[in-house]
Amino acid sequence: MNISSFQTEFNKIMGRDYFTNHVKPIRAQAFNNFLEEGLPNKNWEDWRHTDLKPIKEIDFRLSEISDAPAHELDITEFGLDDIHTIVIYNGHYQESMSSIPNGVRLISLSEYGEQKGWRFNEQKDSPFDLLNTAFMDSGFCLSVDKGVQIESPIRILFISSSENKIMVSPRVYIELEESSSVTFVEQHEGNSKEYLLNSSLIMGIKRNSRMCHIRIQNNSGNTFNIGNIHVHQDKESHYSFYQFAYGSKIGRLNLFTNLNGKGAECFLNGLALTCDHQHLDNHIITNHNAPNCTSSQNFKSLLNDSSSGVFNGRTVVSKGAEKTDSNQSNKNILLSKGSLMNSNPQLEIYADDVKCSHGSTTGALDRDAIFYIQSRGIDMTSAKALLVRGFVSEMIESISNKYIKQYVISKFDSWLNENTI
Amino acid sequence: MLNIQDLHAGVDNKEILKGLNLEIKPGEMHAVMGRNGSGKSTLSNVITGREGFHISKGNIEYKGQSIIEWSPEKRALAGLFMSFQYPVVMPGVNNTYFLKAALNAKLKHHGKQELDAAGFLKLIKEKLTEVDMDTSYLQRAVNEGFSGGEKKRNEILQMLTLEPELAILDETDSGLDIDALKIIADGVNRYRNKERSFLVITHYQRLLKYIEPDIVHVLIDGKFVKSGGKELAIELEEKGYSWLES
Repeated sequence: MNISSFQTEFNKIMGRDYFTNHVKPIRAQAFNNFLEEGLPNKNWEDWRHTDLKPIKEIDFRLSEISDAPAHELDITEFGLDDIHTIVIYNGHYQESMSSIPNGVRLISLSEYGEQKGWRFNEQKDSPFDLLNTAFMDSGFCLSVDKGVQIESPIRILFISSSENKIMVSPRVYIELEESSSVTFVEQHEGNSKEYLLNSSLIMGIKRNSRMCHIRIQNNSGNTFNIGNIHVHQDKESHYSFYQFAYGSKIGRLNLFTNLNGKGAECFLNGLALTCDHQHLDNHIITNHNAPNCTSSQNFKSLLNDSSSGVFNGRTVVSKGAEKTDSNQSNKNILLSKGSLMNSNPQLEIYADDVKCSHGSTTGALDRDAIFYIQSRGIDMTSAKALLVRGFVSEMIESISNKYIKQYVISKFDSWLNENTI
Repeated sequence: MLNIQDLHAGVDNKEILKGLNLEIKPGEMHAVMGRNGSGKSTLSNVITGREGFHISKGNIEYKGQSIIEWSPEKRALAGLFMSFQYPVVMPGVNNTYFLKAALNAKLKHHGKQELDAAGFLKLIKEKLTEVDMDTSYLQRAVNEGFSGGEKKRNEILQMLTLEPELAILDETDSGLDIDALKIIADGVNRYRNKERSFLVITHYQRLLKYIEPDIVHVLIDGKFVKSGGKELAIELEEKGYSWLES
């Protein structure tokens, strides 16, 4: 998608009137900023290992009303059907198929904008955030009131299903008021041929509240999934994140967590499973802006065929963020000769009295371990599967919701069955 | 049980075993003693089929069949077992899961009913007491965080569970204190019977005090230079290896 195609689509969205006029200058500002920067290329440090050429070559268009489903969808094929779900189909909110648990409030982006006096917390960390602001379509805010604990998880299910080359730009705010908690599932599914999802999720986690966020990225083969997530944490809040990514041709996660209040903690986990020519990139920035905060980045990849991956993790400990405790770990297994991993864990420390560690390993499966297992009567394929399961088990086992955990295990098993390792 | 004839084998282009002959009959306990670099590890690796070791000449027969083309798992399913000198640590791979998979692979191979979780648990709990290990083992990952002694006991536990007919104990005594050594020796001795054979590979005579061999072989430079009864091990302890070197 070149700049002139973006311009054409931008003119279209500016002509749509289902948002109030307040949104237009916000879009225009963001789009101008985007035009100044342009799409990232490999000369940008943060995009060195991810070539966006396949995206640049396709002219995506905005999703139209005609891209909404003609009839009720069966979403059971995407699993997790016991979970309250908000369905977004090709960028269109499907009210009739959606439900939310008691205690959660769902408001439209327009209403949210009115409440905030249209002073959005502008996200500028990535050019894709600018694009999202310029093109934001399906937008809403989920909020949990002070002191409310939501027991049943809530899911946003993004389904892409189109022969056409559409671009969707969901904008979701999630706000947890003081001492509340929720488990949130973000799931990407569908059978689109070519599709560009560029979502921005902005989480506000107030004092003493807890969020568990599980992101399942299973878009179909030729699609592009760009996920921008911004987490702003207050004092003593807790955020845990798990990504299970095995879909898309190119997937890029831009996860920015900001520990702004004393004693806040975030635990970020990711498992990427890639095959064919897939490329999954995890760009993870954790900002320690307050003292006594704890963070971890724990990302793993299993790479098969000619697939590739990136882990670019950065933990920044600002001046004054004393007693920071942070850990970064990136472990990758190359299952084929043609696979490639780029791993770059980084620490930036501007405070004294902190405990920070980081490490990264990439390699093939341990041949000694394979032989050890074979010597006990187990064939080589099963031996490799056993090791691969061992590699991922700790992360999957740490999901506390059993139903979701079981789902992730079943998806992992299918992936393993479909891949010759 | 095991018949090795004129075995020449090595790694890369280096020949390490240079014409080795060995016959182990059912129920026999053989010990191979030798210095570092004499070829002890190569011998255990070629018998169990580790990749990277090449046989240039000779044969290894197990129960009358040549096994040199067999995969490691085929050898294991046929009843071969090795207690590793350096048991491999496998993070995230649970002991229970691993050992149950191994046992069921063997049961299935022999056309027997595979064990379910409850059946396996009952069996493994009995075996654990034999090597003085507690049930916390069942939740742990294979050899992860195990002490040297625990790792070796885990090897013996696996042997007791998988019930091989020929067990190779490769330097099982290395790094063990005397208590752990006794536990392991007791486990092995209880497992001995008229059908089961052992090949104990060791550096020192120490282990052989507790596990009495029928025949001791001295390996020097890829060949057995002397074989004899258990008294040969004692003689080696006193005199070292140099009197046997040409």
